[in-house]
This record gives sequence, C-alpha cells and structure tokens, in this order.
Amino acid sequence: MLSHRKEIRIGPGRPYDVLVCGAGHAGIEAALAAARMGADTLLLTGNLDTIGQMSCNPAIGGQAKGHMVREIDALGGAMGLTADVTGIHYRLLNSSKGPAVQAPRTQCDKKAYQLRMKHLCELQPNLTIFQAQVTGLLNKGDRVTGVQTNLDLDFYAKSVVVTTGTFLRGLMHIGANKNEGGRLGDFSSKSLSGSFLQHGIELERLKTGTPPRILGSTIDFSQCSEQPGDTHPTLFAFMDTRPETDLFHVEQAGERLAGWKPGTEQVSCWMTEATGKTGEIVAANLHLSPLYGGEIQSVGPRYCPSIEDKFVKFSDKETHKLFLEPEGRGTNEWYINGLSTSLPFRVQLEMVRSVPGLENAVMLRPAYAVEYDFAPPTQLHPTLESKKLGGLFFAGQINGTSGYEEAGGQGLVAGANAASQVLGGPPLVLERDQSYIGVLIDDLVTKGTKEPYRMFTSRAEYRLLLNHGSADVRLVDVAERMQLVPEDRLKRVKEKASHVHHWATMADKMTIPGGLMGDVVRKAPTMDQVSLPPSFLTLGTEVRDEVLYRVKYKGYLEREQRQAAKLRDLEHWFVPAGFNYQGVPSLRLEARAKLQEIQPATLGQAGRISGITPADIALLMIWLRAKGEGAHVPRRT
Amino acid sequence: MTLPDTIVAPATPEGVSALAMLRLDGAEVHALTLAALGRITPLVPRKATLGIWHNPEGQALDQVVVTFYAAGASATGNTSVEIACHGNPRLVRALVTDCLTRGARMAEPGEFTRRAFLNGKIDLTQAEAIAGLVHAESERALESARRLLAGELGRAVAVWSDRTLSALATLEAHIDFPEEDLPPENPQGPRGILLQLGRELTAAAATARHEESLRNGIRLAVVGAPNAGKSSLLNALCGSSRALVSPVAGTTRDYLEAEVQGLPIRVTAVDTAGLRTSGDTLEAAGMERTREQAARADFLLWVVDQSCPPPALTEEWSHWLTAGRAALVTNKSDLPAHAELNNFLPTLPRIACCLLDGRDASHLRQALGQLLERADLAPAGDHLVVGTRHAEAMNRAAARFSLAAQHLEKGSQATELAATEVRAGLDDLAEVVGKVDNERMLDKLFASFCIGK
Repeated sequence: MLSHRKEIRIGPGRPYDVLVCGAGHAGIEAALAAARMGADTLLLTGNLDTIGQMSCNPAIGGQAKGHMVREIDALGGAMGLTADVTGIHYRLLNSSKGPAVQAPRTQCDKKAYQLRMKHLCELQPNLTIFQAQVTGLLNKGDRVTGVQTNLDLDFYAKSVVVTTGTFLRGLMHIGANKNEGGRLGDFSSKSLSGSFLQHGIELERLKTGTPPRILGSTIDFSQCSEQPGDTHPTLFAFMDTRPETDLFHVEQAGERLAGWKPGTEQVSCWMTEATGKTGEIVAANLHLSPLYGGEIQSVGPRYCPSIEDKFVKFSDKETHKLFLEPEGRGTNEWYINGLSTSLPFRVQLEMVRSVPGLENAVMLRPAYAVEYDFAPPTQLHPTLESKKLGGLFFAGQINGTSGYEEAGGQGLVAGANAASQVLGGPPLVLERDQSYIGVLIDDLVTKGTKEPYRMFTSRAEYRLLLNHGSADVRLVDVAERMQLVPEDRLKRVKEKASHVHHWATMADKMTIPGGLMGDVVRKAPTMDQVSLPPSFLTLGTEVRDEVLYRVKYKGYLEREQRQAAKLRDLEHWFVPAGFNYQGVPSLRLEARAKLQEIQPATLGQAGRISGITPADIALLMIWLRAKGEGAHVPRRT
Repeated sequence: MTLPDTIVAPATPEGVSALAMLRLDGAEVHALTLAALGRITPLVPRKATLGIWHNPEGQALDQVVVTFYAAGASATGNTSVEIACHGNPRLVRALVTDCLTRGARMAEPGEFTRRAFLNGKIDLTQAEAIAGLVHAESERALESARRLLAGELGRAVAVWSDRTLSALATLEAHIDFPEEDLPPENPQGPRGILLQLGRELTAAAATARHEESLRNGIRLAVVGAPNAGKSSLLNALCGSSRALVSPVAGTTRDYLEAEVQGLPIRVTAVDTAGLRTSGDTLEAAGMERTREQAARADFLLWVVDQSCPPPALTEEWSHWLTAGRAALVTNKSDLPAHAELNNFLPTLPRIACCLLDGRDASHLRQALGQLLERADLAPAGDHLVVGTRHAEAMNRAAARFSLAAQHLEKGSQATELAATEVRAGLDDLAEVVGKVDNERMLDKLFASFCIGK
C-alpha cells in the first residue's frame, strides 16, 4: 500500500524524497513532518536505541521553550503529546504573571519518552527507519543526492536533512580526561565534518555540558525541600490525537490508549544548594578545569554556566540552588540540575558530597563538557536549506542552538521544507509575529550565534501575540497550507478560532452586569467576580481563556499587531536569489559586505542584519524597483 | 492602497521671509489638518483654504492657507497637505511641533522624494539620481549621527539607554528565568529607575526650545532717548568702536548691527536712533526704523542717562518693555541719579553702569548673560540642548517609562506589560543614537544575574 510505504533501498535507482540523518529531537520532527506531508522518507540513526534521547535534563518546555513545544504540536509534531503522556511532574511557570509569559514545563520519564518516539517513527506511514552512521554527502553539481554510511551502503534522496547534534567531532572533557563522542557512551562522527568542508560549508566549535547523575536511594531528601508538581497539569498537546488501539508502548500491550493519564501519580522534584564548601572545592581545583586551564576554547552557553563559572563570576553569591530531578518512574537515576562541570571526577565526587542531602550520594555518571562542530547558520536560507548545496537542510544543534525544543522546531520546519521542495509545494517560513519558531530561525539565519542559542521570551519583539494558548490558532493556516495536520484536526482548530474571534468581537458590543463585557473584563483584577454570559461559559476552557486574554490585553495586542503590520510590507519585498550587492553603487561598503554575506531573502530580513540602516533599505528598495528585480507580493495567509 | 504613516517637514529653507511652507504626507493628514483648523467639513482637494491653526489646547498658532491633495493626485502619490504660514522660523517650528503632537513624525531625509518614487510618481529613469540623493542624505544623516554620538547629547542618551537596559534586564530576568536563583523580585527597583529616567528625559527635552536661538542667535535692540549712551553701550558690548559716538544728541540716525562676544549664545546687538519728537524728517525716519527693530528683537535694553529726567513713554513702548523681554540700563552711574528714575519702568531688571570709557564692559556682558538666561532665551550653563526631533523622541520615551512605572506600581503581575513599554521607550531613544540590539540587554542580564541550573 503506497500510503504506508516502508522500504530499504540502496543505490541511486529510486531515491527517497527526503533523507534525515540523525534521530534526535530535530531529526524525529523532520522525518515525521516530511512523512505526514506524503514524502517517501528515510530516517538514518547511528543507534536505534537512542532515538529521541534526552541527553541532558529530563524535561520538556519551560519559558519560551514551552511556547515552542505548543507550536510544534500545532503543526502536527510529536514532541508535545509525547511529553504529556510520558510526563511525571508538571508545572506551569510564571503562573502569577500574564498569560503571554506563562509556560508549561514537564519532567518526563526519559526512557518512556524515547520508546514512544521510536514507536511513533515505526508506525508513521511513509517513514522508514534504519540504523547506519552517515559518513559523507553525495552530490551532483550543486545539489545533494544522498549520503554514504559506515556500512558502505549509499542511500540516495532528492533532499537531505542533517540533524547530527553534538556528534560532529564531538570531544568530551572530564578534567584532563578526553573521550571522543557526542554523548557519553556514544560515538563521534568525524568524516562527515570533512565532507561538509569539502562542499564549502564552514564549521566552528561550540561547547556545552551536563551535570552528574546520582542514585536516588542515596539522597537524603530530609535535607532538601520538596517541589511538588501542579495538581492541574497544563499540557502541551492541543488535542489527544492518539488512536484508540495503536499502542506505542511495548510494555503495555493489550491496553487501549496506552500510557498513564497525564497528571496522575506525579513525582516531586527536590531543591538543595551548592554551599560555601562546594565553592572552596571549586576554588582549590580550578586549575584542573579544562575550561579555566585553557584546554577548552569553544564558547559555552551563558545561561547554562558550569558550577566553576558560577562561583568565579558571581563570587559574592555564597550558595547556588540545585534541583534534583528524577529521570523516570522505572529508574532510580537522578539528575542534579545546576551542577554542570568539567572538573576531574575526583573533584566531582567531593563537590557532590559537599551538597546538603548528597553527603552519601553515589554517582552513576560523571558530569562532562562536550565540544562539537556546528555550521554557522548564516549559511542557510530562511527555509533552513544550505546556500552552498541545494536540497541540503540543517536543523538542531548543528545550527548552533541548544535545547530539545529549539531542535524540534527547526527539525519540523526543515523536514517540511525538504518535503515541500520535492513535492512541489510552497516553502515554510514562519514569521516573527507568528511564532517563536519563526523568531528562532530568523535570528539564526540573519544574525548567526556566538554561543549555543537558547530561546527566551525576551527575544520576541511581539511577545504578547505569542502566548502559548494561541499557538494552534496562530498556526492553523500554515498547518493547512503545508498539509502538516489531517483535515479533521484542521476543522476543530478552525472552529476554535472562529469562536475566539466571535467572542473577542462580541465583548465590545455586549453588555453584562457592570457594563460592556470588554470593559468589565479589563477592569476586573480576577474573573471570579465577573458574571460572564451563560452562552460564553458553555465554551471549552481553552476558548474561554483565549477570549479573555484577547479582551483583557486588547490595547497591547493591537499595538503589537500594528507594529508588525508596519514592518510586514518589507517582509514581502523579495530579493532575487544571488542578488549582486556590488552592483548597487550608492550602498555603503559595510552594508554591501554584510548583505552579500547573508544574502537576505527579503528586505525585512535585510533590515534585521546588524549594522544595516533604514537608509540602506530605502536605497535597496529603490534599486530593486528601478531595475525591475525582486518582487513585492502580498502576504500569503 | 494602504497609505504610509504621516510625516511632516518644512518645505522652505529656514530664515525670515514673507511666507514659509510645511508639508504633511501620509494616512492621517486630512484628519490631522481638520482637527488643527477646527473644521468639520472635509477639505476640497487642490483648493486653497484659509484657516487658523490651533494647538490641541485651542491656542491659535498662525493664520495659514492649507491645500489638500488626495491620494494618487499629489506629488508623493499619498494624501498630502501643504501648509503656507508666515515666514518666521519660530512659528514654523511651532507648527511642526504641533503636527508631531498630533501624531505625525518628522520626515527622514529624502523621504518625500522616496515616497514619490515608490508610488511611481517619478520616472524610473530617475532612480539612480534618487539613489544618489538618498545616499547623500544618508551619508549626511550618518555623519550628523556620528557627530551627535561623539557629542554631549549622544553620550547622555547612551547613558540613559544603558540605564534603561539595566532596568529592562532586571524585569526580563524574572520573566524569562522564573525558577532560577535570582534575588527576590522587587519591581520597585526598576520602577524607581524608570521614573527617574522619565524626569531626566523630560527636563532635557524641554531645552529643545533653545535649539533655534542657539543656531540662529538672538537679536538685542538697544533703545532709549537720544544721547543716553546707546552707541556707547553697543561699543562696550562689542568691544570696538563700531558705532559713531558724540555728545551731540541724535548722532545715530539709522541702525547699526554688531555681534556681542562672550555670551552663552550668539547675540546680534542693534544700535538704534534715539526716540524723541523731532521736526527733522531724516531723524523721524530713523525712529520708525527703531520701532521696527524693537518689534523684531528678542530682547530690549532701554538705556537712560540717570542724571536726566526719564522720558515719557508711548503706549506702544510700554507694551514692549516688559520684564522677561527687556531691561533698564542706567548709564552715567558716576552722576547723581534723578529723583523720578525710581518710578520709571519699575518692573524691569536694572543694570547700573558707566559707559564713559568702556570700563564696565565685562560687568555688562555678565549681567546681560544672566538676564538672557533668566528670560529663557539662553540655556543654563550645564544643560545640554536637544533638537526638536530628538526632543520628540525623548518625550515619547519618557511617556513610555511613566506607563511602565504605572504597571510596576501594582507589583509583579504585569511586568511583561511594563517590559513592553520599556522596549518601546528604548526604540524611541534609538532614534537619537541608533538601534540597541537585544543582545545588549541579554549581556546585561547574564552579567548581573547568576542564571543557569
């Protein structure tokens, strides 16, 4: 049956539509998106047992990240529902602030998450998965045609998505100890870097790290403070799309709707702190840290500093909070959030024991820093396609990002674009006023990054428009245009959108006790005292919350919409591919050089390149219009 | 067609002339003009309409002739309005400021031409010429921005931006890292910074009124009875024998101009013919000139010989000689003062001097400088002076910060709204010193707080 084609094909005979290298959080979403759109897709991974592995902390979501997971879900992705049904601890962050900056975060059962992801890939129609390590690219002229593998098998495809994470020349440091690999226990991909360089793709180095894991039964919880989860969990998935019978979980065969009910039987997280004693150990051993000894030159993320950095750079702070997080229900392995380090193992042992509650803790895995190659993302088009080699797409940590959610969002966009290019569909470029994923990709391809890029809500200039609860409504048109979600789901989202629109409009026409509904909602500190119309109260919570948000923040939302609209015109001035900026005589030299390097797709993108002035844009606009080049097309909705 | 936002700029060069013209262009020109003229009936396209231009407080600014052009039938292709007003730079500035208050923004260099081009109102073959123009204008804008950045205002705005970023970083840290190891959230900290910034920006923006007097200088008319010592005063102020001096009353029959040195702003002093009733027609013509000069001047110095009885004043002169616009110079302080002098122009500030041999010159200049400062014609010594365009941006920023402070007053529930206002304010400041990249806020955030689990 064609719609469920799964087949291993080697050699150039019948190429796949889309080939994805790597089955991490980016690769999974890329492969699933391409397959959902109907592309004949192959997913290659170096190790089938680590599909969807959470290499660092066992949690999905958080500030800005949770927003992106909901966007991934709105576009049919798997991250949201998988986190929901494998979650063991749920929290809505910032619940005391406005809805735009509230975000769900979920601690997941690491293994369950991984097994569900693997099973989803196994079940997905149009998707074949296979274990082989990609060692090089195949090309014909300036187009990619497939990949070589360590098994001496060549796989051919019309487009290729690279999602190799930290595996490119990955080098792990524990003090002076060095091991090659992208993650403890895994391999390092060396020849692929060479292949990229051969194709003119530049590579640079970044660094990240992960803390030690310990045995839960050796933690003295009486010295830690408990952090229970929310009693009413906020889920990522907008709807439960699980079929009644197709089970994902091998261990629960025979059950209907596998997995446990989200929110039940939660496990607590615990809080303790690194003390002055820990600081002393750090200070005494700083010379042994490859970060401070100069062994590691690559840049690490500022928002995820090692414990060395915390004590050195914030020496006035005596203690640093640590969070103890369970890695699953079926394991006693715990993650020490906040104790990332690359100090030698002996020092790590000492440090862990200096923490209240961990005096007798037994370590299961050491903390380590990892250095890896990434391909500066300014080498990409906004579709995440390489400017150097046609049909080649990049997503995830190889683009210099950090985080499962950032990876998943890019993976989905790269996979959809790879499929769309082959199937003759439209490109997928999300806008900055439409989604965090749009902000993420635009920042990456326009500005590049100097450290592993993590999303913050403060990176979005239209933050109030991007509240997590509206992701499905915001992206329904995109989901439809790209054929990323099935008809019945589209219909349900459109219904929700029309209810939201209707009530947001009605609020300024309809009178309730106290005055105009809109005015009453805006003035009331909470909704408890407001008598909302009975017909409104019959609507679902998600619709009601979204309506009340839009009504209450109307003035602000309209202002952001106006600002976005003002700039949107520039987003639809397309600059022709390969435009020669040297041919624009009046352009400043600095502007010319930067534009030539980034090759922005639109004047909007050009304007966001650092150092480009409004006068430069005006000049380009005049030039494009005068030469009859470029096109100004209305926004596609 | 969607019309662009509304811009305003003078269309005639600065200086005194019979008429001056302003152009308004964009979506809101018609509504803005109707509101300023207090009209309800729409303007007829291409028809000149006489009216009184009021500010939002209802104060009349000038009698103007406005001509409205409908979209598609104007020089730029957008709806636009031309305002012909009286040719006084101060008035032109008042009208521009009023348009800004009513929601227009200052046009960028070359923006009218650019709009005309983009609407296809100018032939495409002219594109290269326009590109050159935009280039030249932008080079000039960049150059002046560079000068500005190196200057006092640039440094001041850079410091304001930096303090704003610190307040913003504190707000954002608690929004983006709610579970991190941050000090307890206290919105009153950033609120205090923002309130203080708002006050400083408003005060600095208020100096914009000195921009014109600083650039063009002011006119100082020296008036009084014949032989009171007006020409001697001019010579003392200018440090030269610019004017012919003699003991014969009525030596100066026309007027003479000279630059006064050593004052905080450029002052052009005008020596005038003495005022008295005289049968001499030449002198009568001179006195008419004196009245003209007095009307044009920003400040008057009435000189009296303190040993003589003070002259009788016409109503016209009493009207001009008011505190804040005039001072009394009592010359010949070496002679005994006449008894009636105490009741002569008692409200005016006085400078006593003896102009016999110019010995009081520096004392005079110093006293005059203080008078001009008090009359608000010159900025106080330690204040930086802001241009109208920059003052507009700074006032907008101050308003944003005040709104942000209001959100923070209630506590930490609406910090994201406060942050939205602060960002908008930063964008306003960016119009003075250029865009502040969000990375700088993050730099501050990560430098100030230990973030990272």
